[in-house]
Amino acid sequence: MLDLVKKIVKAPAISGREDAVADVIRAQMEPFCDEIYRDKMGSLICLKRGSAPDGERRKIMLAAHMDEIGFFVTFIEDNGFIRLTTIGGINFVAAAYTTVVFANGTRGVLVPETGTAAGSLTFDKFYVDIGAKDKKDAERKVKIGDYFVVEPTVTRLMGKRIAGRPMDDRIGCVIMIETARRLSAPRDDIYYVFTVQEEVGCRGAKTAAFAIAPDVAIAYDVTGTGDTIGAKPMAVKVGGGAAIKLKDSSVICSPEVVAGLIATAKTEKIPHQLEILTHGGTDTSSMQMAGSGCAAGCISIPTRYIHSGVEMIDLGDVEACIALTAAYLEREGK
Amino acid sequence: MNELKRIDLLRALCAEFGPSGCEGNVADFIEGQLRGVCETRRDRMGNVIAHLPGEGPRVMLSAHMDEVGMMIKSIDDQGYLRFANVGSIDARVQCGRAVTVGNEQNQVPGVIGAKAIHLQSADERKNATAVSAMYIDIGASSREEAEKYVDLGDFAAFASEFVAFGEDGQRLRGKAIDDRWGCAVAIETLRALADKPLAVDLYAVFSVHEEMGKSGARVAAYAIRPDVSITLEATAVADLPSTAAAARVGELGKGGLLSFVDKGTVYDAGLIDFALETARRADILVQLKRYSAGSNDAAHIHKTADGARAMALSAPTRYIHSGSCVADARDFDAICALLREMLERPWGFTPNPTKETF
Repeated sequence: MLDLVKKIVKAPAISGREDAVADVIRAQMEPFCDEIYRDKMGSLICLKRGSAPDGERRKIMLAAHMDEIGFFVTFIEDNGFIRLTTIGGINFVAAAYTTVVFANGTRGVLVPETGTAAGSLTFDKFYVDIGAKDKKDAERKVKIGDYFVVEPTVTRLMGKRIAGRPMDDRIGCVIMIETARRLSAPRDDIYYVFTVQEEVGCRGAKTAAFAIAPDVAIAYDVTGTGDTIGAKPMAVKVGGGAAIKLKDSSVICSPEVVAGLIATAKTEKIPHQLEILTHGGTDTSSMQMAGSGCAAGCISIPTRYIHSGVEMIDLGDVEACIALTAAYLEREGK
Repeated sequence: MNELKRIDLLRALCAEFGPSGCEGNVADFIEGQLRGVCETRRDRMGNVIAHLPGEGPRVMLSAHMDEVGMMIKSIDDQGYLRFANVGSIDARVQCGRAVTVGNEQNQVPGVIGAKAIHLQSADERKNATAVSAMYIDIGASSREEAEKYVDLGDFAAFASEFVAFGEDGQRLRGKAIDDRWGCAVAIETLRALADKPLAVDLYAVFSVHEEMGKSGARVAAYAIRPDVSITLEATAVADLPSTAAAARVGELGKGGLLSFVDKGTVYDAGLIDFALETARRADILVQLKRYSAGSNDAAHIHKTADGARAMALSAPTRYIHSGSCVADARDFDAICALLREMLERPWGFTPNPTKETF
């Protein structure tokens, strides 16, 4: 699984520019699905048909977002420095003095203007230095409208713990791919939807769910933890198992889905914890409220240092998420 | 109704009284200009929806009919009108402005007043007057007289003569360029393509309520279900002496502004490439929009129902949301030319999802 994680984090793909990672995921999903397509917004939809007869076969939508936070090039100064705008919630303390990479492989460093006070790190104070001599030199590699990300990495820590970026939400994509590998004969139709544009407002999940009109939807995304120094009190911790979401700032998860996930986890003895996230939204509510609505929940991966270069997770929690999903979907009825 | 073209069309559109919520006169004018060109209908929110049928991807142009304005919320004993803004207006461009007050049937002239500078204290002079301290004077001297002309809930809009000025008369000054400009572009596009075999199924939505952020266009999008949405707007540029180069957004006279991102939308990469390639091939001026502070109807349209691929092509406009927006006639021609080129030829890519089955 670590190899899959490394492969998927590597493709730079910000909100609205997901092609590079969609291609990687598509290649991974092809052996496990009956139909694969990109919808009008670009979400990657992989359908695995179920064996139950018509009328008993439900539509289940699983969603993880393919996009990551990043930047667009807005301007190239005469001296070759590159100005930017942000996509998604960028933490500029974490992004200052990092290496960045563009879609065409060009690398640069993202830095604040010299003398900028630590409390004044806003996007207009930053620029990228790709080592160009002047504007004309820079334009050989980069143009307005190009996008770039902080360099993706994966570092092994102790035990099954790893740190890097973007775990948000490539680790959710990994869970869905591994679930598809495991679930070779589902009863229900399973739509594995790798959504676009979550980081700018959960846009892809809304339009995909409208078209699919699922009966049940489950999102996979990272969630914060209460186990770091200075963290606000929160029950979720890294290593505590799959986090079953009760609520975040965008959604109150449907009680029947929450109850079903908890019951499954207990019966199958899958390590799990309950999650309430006070700041942060996910694709869950976009699916719950699309069209005529559906029952929706979320299985979260406990993650420290979200939206930094060192997002930290425990692969044991990831395995628990996969096991919980497979067991939940294999249960009769709910 | 006489057929009006190009800048005459824009002039007449800008002259119409149409703050958000009061777009009927603009809608009537537009339907009149499209008579004989294509079918049009009015939906329940008041959007005008025009359709030129064709075989191919469904493309929806959108331009909003409403301008920023004000709504009358009370009339005082002296006949002065208190108001609230409809749409975002910088209070500093309102005080002392000439306005038109009324509704679709009747309008009267007025002035936005506040305490004259001679009468202000030193403190008051330092700060811009807040909207709550402003009033509209329609020349009535009592509540009874004012009520003969105006009701609560009536509207006000900037009153401003449309003028062509500057180099070769190419600069255009007037109110409501945002977004009567987009309406004029859409009308000219429909006229240009009306008798041609089309490679797209073309809709044009002249929408309501954009300046309030409510987006009438989204209900039209729900009904139409476009594959591609092209929003035609007027957008603020700051190509002014005091602005740093990186924050200038774009320049007048250098072609339409093609957006790649703003607060509401990440625009489709394929459509951007198609527009740039078309412009290069046909030698049409176009610029990429450099800054992304605001958003437009594309934000609502592209997330409606099962989604759409989004593009926005806008007039570079100075002093937007004021009584004196300034744009450039050469950009009007460039935008119309680019749209015609894009819509006339068979599209080089498939905007619809392609399914692989195993």
